[in-house]
Amino acid sequence: MSFLLPCPNCGRRSVYEFRFGGEVRPVPAVDALHAEWQNYRFNRTNAAGVQTEWWFHRSGCRQWLYAVRNTLTNEVLDAYLPGEKP
Amino acid sequence: MNFLFQGHAVEAKDGDTIAAALYRNGQRTFSRSFKYHRPRGLLCVAGKCPNCLMNVDGIPNIRTCITSVRDGMRVKAQNVFPSLETDWLSITQRFAWLMPVGWYYKTFTHRTSWHAVEPFIRKVAGLGEVLTTESRSYEHSWLHCDRAVIGGGWAGIEAAQAAGARGEQVVLVDDQPELGGQSRYRKRGGKVPSDLIERLQALPNVRILLDSYCFGLYEGNLLGIVQRNPHPGAVERLVHLRAEHTTVTTGAYETPLLFPNHDLPGVMLSTGVLRLLHLYGIQAGKRAVVVGARGATEEISAELRDAGIQVMATVSAEQVRTVTGSASVKGIQTEVGRFACDLIAVCGLEVPDAGLAVQAGGKLSWSAAHGMFLPTGLPKHVSLLGAAAGEGLRANVSIPLPPSKRAFVCLCSDVSSQDLCDGVAEGFDHIETLKRYTTTTMGPCQGRMCQLSAIGVCAHETGRSTAEIGVTTSRPPSPGVTLGALAGSGHNPIRRTPMHYAHEKLGVVWMDMSDWRRPRYYRTSPAFAEKECIQAEYRAVREAVGIIDVSTLGKLALRGADCGKLLDKVYTHRFSDLPPGRVRYALMCDEGGVILDDGTIARLGDDRYFITTTTGNLEFVQQWLDWYLAGTGWDVHIANVTAGYGAMNIAGPRSREVLSKLTHCDLASPAFPYMACREAEVGAIPVVMLRIGFVGETGWEIHCPAESAEGLWEALLEAGQESKIRPFGVEAQRLLRLEKRHVIVGVDTDALTNPYEADLAWAVKLEKPDFVGKACLSRAAVDLSRERLIGFVLRGPGLPQDGAAIVADGELAGRVTSTRHSPARQAAVGLGWVKVAQAKEGMTINVRVDGKLVPATITMQPFYDPEGGRLRQ
Repeated sequence: MSFLLPCPNCGRRSVYEFRFGGEVRPVPAVDALHAEWQNYRFNRTNAAGVQTEWWFHRSGCRQWLYAVRNTLTNEVLDAYLPGEKP
Repeated sequence: MNFLFQGHAVEAKDGDTIAAALYRNGQRTFSRSFKYHRPRGLLCVAGKCPNCLMNVDGIPNIRTCITSVRDGMRVKAQNVFPSLETDWLSITQRFAWLMPVGWYYKTFTHRTSWHAVEPFIRKVAGLGEVLTTESRSYEHSWLHCDRAVIGGGWAGIEAAQAAGARGEQVVLVDDQPELGGQSRYRKRGGKVPSDLIERLQALPNVRILLDSYCFGLYEGNLLGIVQRNPHPGAVERLVHLRAEHTTVTTGAYETPLLFPNHDLPGVMLSTGVLRLLHLYGIQAGKRAVVVGARGATEEISAELRDAGIQVMATVSAEQVRTVTGSASVKGIQTEVGRFACDLIAVCGLEVPDAGLAVQAGGKLSWSAAHGMFLPTGLPKHVSLLGAAAGEGLRANVSIPLPPSKRAFVCLCSDVSSQDLCDGVAEGFDHIETLKRYTTTTMGPCQGRMCQLSAIGVCAHETGRSTAEIGVTTSRPPSPGVTLGALAGSGHNPIRRTPMHYAHEKLGVVWMDMSDWRRPRYYRTSPAFAEKECIQAEYRAVREAVGIIDVSTLGKLALRGADCGKLLDKVYTHRFSDLPPGRVRYALMCDEGGVILDDGTIARLGDDRYFITTTTGNLEFVQQWLDWYLAGTGWDVHIANVTAGYGAMNIAGPRSREVLSKLTHCDLASPAFPYMACREAEVGAIPVVMLRIGFVGETGWEIHCPAESAEGLWEALLEAGQESKIRPFGVEAQRLLRLEKRHVIVGVDTDALTNPYEADLAWAVKLEKPDFVGKACLSRAAVDLSRERLIGFVLRGPGLPQDGAAIVADGELAGRVTSTRHSPARQAAVGLGWVKVAQAKEGMTINVRVDGKLVPATITMQPFYDPEGGRLRQ
């Protein structure tokens, strides 16, 4: 794990500067079924391929951002701030 | 220069490596082999083989052939008894038949038998001894460049020169003390002109790292480089080099040919002979026999004759019957006759050193045209040039096999060709399984000396082609790296509060809390024991007034119209309706309802809030707030002001009389009630005052600019002299809070605790439409099946330890989380977890104290001032 992550604010940086925040998933509604909440809390898609993830640039701009990463190659295809893209 | 070898002084010339100096002084045996203790001498003289590993200044496994001599260094042989020349353990050779391949697996099939022999085997076999006390210092550095060139031979110099001329930022790395690669010691290929090297050195955008080796190429073109002796203060420097493009010009190395006794001292690779000759001016012998394929032998013979070494004969490896001599070479028996000699120069197979290319994602495949394994499928950011790509190397026709099966393929762990044949016969016929079963290619040389021979034997025994057999995987680090270099300098930051030096004047005893140093207690006189000091601090708070430094609390300043919205979402309590000038306890849970952190939130103005977090959780809490804010577009700005503010808590029945001396702010309860906050001046310093009571007495938590904190601390101590003020530390604070039954998150709670279990239900507002954890907390509110946090008062002597067992009805019922002896109750009190059925006021449980069960009474009330009247005075 020593790939570079293109931070939208700071440019390409070593992944060691970031904290991983997990895959981006829709949060269930507050009154959703308990099973739905259990699924949200304990299960992960764990995609073998491209997925969108949360990352926090801890030793940089200290912003949360989305990164689109191929989990097989660690290639980061895109990175953007929440609210900037669909 | 002089150094000590086995306790005797050895003279070295300028530029000598340890091995060169020893060889010049007549040393021929440099090590004893791993298993059979066979004598081994210099072979590659390039740091590629295991033969010259020694202990240097206490550090084991130093490759002496590439380590320069320093004046006064102490060098010792490894794994010999009693000496290199006479090693009694070489008797093990006679019992080789008892130790076939897979000996351990076959012989020590029972666990106990292995335990019985393991200490003996560890003594007899193996390498150096680990140094358990390391006093040398290491460091790390980071470099970035457009192009990294690994290897400073012809190809590397040209690549660096070309890239430098294009204006690229270049780093050129070479493991030798000088650039030039093989042109420094052999005529083939020609000498690199010195003006080319000078022009390269003159380029400002080219940085040259000499005496530095690259041990791995990692993801994202990150290169690990160890620089030896970067300056007198450090023994090694680990350089993290990040390159846009890596050019691998690591050249090629020579590997041995197999024939009986080919591992005897005096049998040396031809490049080793040339290195000794041209780099150190040493004749490796007087009379030499050259072994190898025609073409290669002619080049070497010519070089040897030029240097005045007599060449007795030139033979091919297949013609060799055996090498004679016991401690070193005396002669050679071949199909074309016997020759007396003291040196056998082996022109071995040349192997491109392409490990970095493989680590980058390339594959090694057999090129029949070159007769060697060459990397293919390199990623875009890595290129391979020169001998590492097979350029200019002699084509190897095939991998020759030993005529006798008792030739050592693996020099590192004494694996013979017979062992490999047996391994294949036993079913380990894949090169990867054969490697693991026999341990060949797994020693310190990392397969450099034995890989090709092992492939050759495997191919012959299985009847498959070299291409089908393939190679084992090359992984970093290669060559090996010291743990010291990887660990670096062992930098431990310490955070000091603004009042740090004031505490020192007061006789503080420190404790570490994450990075912070906090006063544990104050030893006002050397005559007082810890217990007496803490009790005096406790009494001061309960009876007069005490003051504690709480600057380590995490402090966040929030500003913006939507702060209330964010806090309502993230904390369990409601904060949007908190009136300015009021404070509320703040509890944070995750989506599963598990308690993450607690603190206080003060509303300073309509759109200004001030949050405190626990000391260790600040970073987490800030990220958590930021995460819920991300993408919302809400008007909230969060600033971490932890280091900007000093903080102290002045508490006790006389705290008001002390504080009022320094401020005009009305401190009387009607004007400044419990759980209120004010921005005011104390001693002309602007402060935020929170009237809260962690310790259970009337008190104020005062936050002020860090630069004024020490002055305010001292002013308060002075103003409090008449009132018998006393500074108190974390130990007294923990006792005071425990008597008030205040929970410490992470001590009294764990990774599963929800607020209902921890008796903090009052801090959860389920009627809020939505907040983090609501879905799960709504269930937890009605699910009473789990444990409850209870308080207990011990009804006997002694003090249970944290974590002690709680027993009820003869069964384990829970555990203790915090205990102290309470002066207020004159008994040991504590917090602990029990099953819900047992968590009833007045119920008796048993707590384990010093191995005995002592009865205790459960209470759900604070141990001290249960009504909280003292807080509100």
